[in-house]
Amino acid sequence: MSNQRSLEHVVVLGANGTMGFGSAALFTQAVPRVTFLARTRAKAEEGLAAAIAQVRSNSLASRSDVGSYDDDLAAALATADLVFEAVAEDPAIKGPIFDLIEAHRRPGSMVATVSSGLSINGLAAGRSDDFRANFCGLHFFNPPNVITGTELIPNADTDPEVLDFLETFCRTRLGREMVRTEDTPAFAGNRVGFKVLNECAQMAEDLGPMLVDRIVGPYTGRALTPLATIDLVGWDVHRAIVDNVYENTKDEVHETNKLPDYMAKLIDQGVLGRKTGGGFFKRAPKGSDEGDMVLVPATGDYVPQSSITLPDMPYVDEIADLYSQGRYVEGLNVLCDAKGAEAALARKVMAGYIAYSFERVGEVCESITDIDRIMGMGFNWAPPSVLVDTMGTANAVKMIAEAGLSVPAALADAAPGTQFFNHPTTNAGRFFVAA
Amino acid sequence: MTTPDVYVIGGYQTDFGRNWTKENKHFSALMREAVTGAMQSADIPAGDIESAHVGNFAAELYCMQGHLGAFFTEVDPAFSGLPTGRHEAACASGSIALLAASAEIEAGRYDLQAVVGIEQMKTVASSLGGSYLGTAAWYEKEAEGIDFPFPKLFGKLGDEYDKRYGLADEHLAEISRLNYDNAKLNPNAQTRTWYMNKEHALARDDMNAEVGGRIRLADCSQVTDGAVCVFLASREYAENYAAERGLSIDDIPRIKGWGHNTARLLFEDKVKESREAEYVLPHVRSTITSAMERAGISDVFGEGGGVKIDGIETHDCFTTSEYMAIDHFGITAPGESWKAVEEGVLEIDGKMPINPSGGLIGAGHPVGATGVRQLLDAHKQVTGTAGDYQIDGAKNIQTLNIGGSGTTSVSFVVGV
Repeated sequence: MSNQRSLEHVVVLGANGTMGFGSAALFTQAVPRVTFLARTRAKAEEGLAAAIAQVRSNSLASRSDVGSYDDDLAAALATADLVFEAVAEDPAIKGPIFDLIEAHRRPGSMVATVSSGLSINGLAAGRSDDFRANFCGLHFFNPPNVITGTELIPNADTDPEVLDFLETFCRTRLGREMVRTEDTPAFAGNRVGFKVLNECAQMAEDLGPMLVDRIVGPYTGRALTPLATIDLVGWDVHRAIVDNVYENTKDEVHETNKLPDYMAKLIDQGVLGRKTGGGFFKRAPKGSDEGDMVLVPATGDYVPQSSITLPDMPYVDEIADLYSQGRYVEGLNVLCDAKGAEAALARKVMAGYIAYSFERVGEVCESITDIDRIMGMGFNWAPPSVLVDTMGTANAVKMIAEAGLSVPAALADAAPGTQFFNHPTTNAGRFFVAA
Repeated sequence: MTTPDVYVIGGYQTDFGRNWTKENKHFSALMREAVTGAMQSADIPAGDIESAHVGNFAAELYCMQGHLGAFFTEVDPAFSGLPTGRHEAACASGSIALLAASAEIEAGRYDLQAVVGIEQMKTVASSLGGSYLGTAAWYEKEAEGIDFPFPKLFGKLGDEYDKRYGLADEHLAEISRLNYDNAKLNPNAQTRTWYMNKEHALARDDMNAEVGGRIRLADCSQVTDGAVCVFLASREYAENYAAERGLSIDDIPRIKGWGHNTARLLFEDKVKESREAEYVLPHVRSTITSAMERAGISDVFGEGGGVKIDGIETHDCFTTSEYMAIDHFGITAPGESWKAVEEGVLEIDGKMPINPSGGLIGAGHPVGATGVRQLLDAHKQVTGTAGDYQIDGAKNIQTLNIGGSGTTSVSFVVGV
């Protein structure tokens, strides 16, 4: 196998979708030629136009060409160094596309899928030896021009040299934070992240979306609150991820990954979050007198947000004030000691996130640092180790035990003074949003 | 009389991609993260720090906050009562703080000093911020009533080169491309996820809009929020520090040379003064050469067998300022900077790497922090800890930090 790989030509399939054109745009920064392919040439052209608008550079066009699967795929794949597949997450669509790739790709050329749900080994099954050796998952998070966290997932037969090459290329030329994961359902980031998001969606059934997003607010280590996040990524995407995890794993929080019934019903009625005009939250139309609305999960109705009265949570303001001065240790300690049902719930969610992350080490990736990096740079959440280091291991252990969860051995057995966050170039402080 | 050595013990840079206003954070949080990060990364106990110098340009304007030296005492209870102060020289503020701190170590007053360069700029809209930056020029004469005065002043620097030697936009675009590429290797760089390539830098469309004469968006460094803290130490402190860690004093970088000049404020006066001179900005040249002389270096390439400079962290507030730096460092003859650009001399693996960090264009330019950031990057290079942007085998790195339109210049040679 040559160790002189280079990327001179990347072909993106599904280049009209958000992930497709976003990834294609990313590649044009460092690759001389990128081909945008879609079902029709017109769709590929739409992808190219969207890519130019996203990165705000006409220069992208000079490195790009467009085409359709029927007319241009064979010729494009004949010179491609990397085929990047970003078509819809549906085996019935991906199967025929993989057949085409197999039929026309150059031996030795790399093939990557951006799938966030399907098994990489499953996609590789039945393909030629050369295909499998050169095939892996390369999971960018949306939108890839903003979010740097990227998962690299081998199949059982991926040539290690292919993984090393892609990891280095993406890190040094595309500015990616590369995390290697196992081929487990939802890989590492979505496995941990959507467990927390779904837990919040379950809580919303009784507490209502506004209280949940206040309790698991920015002060718990995230810029965007959980239910607002589900609205942004789309309820259908949320369902696909948690259903996949629920059906294909059996871990200690199994029922937490079960999609709430009220969400299933609303999805069937076409409620998919922001892209359909609203999910948990619905913004008032521009210029209207109506205020923003919020979902009542039990009924599926929306009521004005102004009609909801939230309990007083003075500890949140106290924490935000400490964070605003960079006093993160003191801020988290206020949460550890805060009285009241809301603070207890916030601790429960945080404890669950920490414990679940540490328990996944060895299953979804090699080290807690990998989970830290993908949660930090893929989700923009305070990585679990940052929370543990900032509150102190003893506080974290206490928080997990009080939540009724079993304490991961790595925390229970940690020597005093152990620092878990091992990513010196990342400012841990950026994850503590003062709001 | 030999001057006592000043050692650089290490430090910490905040991620220049962060927007502290979006994080709802106060200036004091920026200071705290830089200083606590530096104590952690250099393994320095708070009780060892004897004095602190803060470099900052305009917190009074951007943050409605003065008396910045005093904010140092807020970081740790051990700092209450320490002598502190603040220094200002526009974009060279950080280097002026370093000069003051190093002079106090040379004078034997203190053994360990913290130097913080800091600026929070995302507090205001870019047009108002551009006007604040105009106070680094002679405001009434060069900035008042002008949108984004500084790109226009550095556009004039390009025009002056063009007049004297000829200047092609393509070479400026290549400087931009290289800084952005290097920034992709720097986890603390502001632009590490930004879209750039040479074609874009050369584009003459509204996506790469003109901001001042020949200066377009891709030619500019961008304002941002950031702070950097480094520790300067006496030989005695550095010897103990090294011994406690099983190191030799020779492993600890020191400031081998410094240069410092201030030219007249108005750009047109500077150009008038240099009309008959070899260099467009002779006082900048003098700053560079005096730092080299103090370091015992006769030539940037070490020609004639002497010690050489292994890489440069220069002030590329605009592509024209880096273009100017190339010949002022002596990498090429005056007016021939384009040759170094064309020949790949400035790449990280080239003959004289410039701005492996991405510089101001790629890494970002939180004004008061920049000089300290350059010194910290020099420290990283000569200790082999620069990660993906490491220059192989770097022993001596030179910085150049400029305030105003080539007005205040400071240069350091940091080496082991």
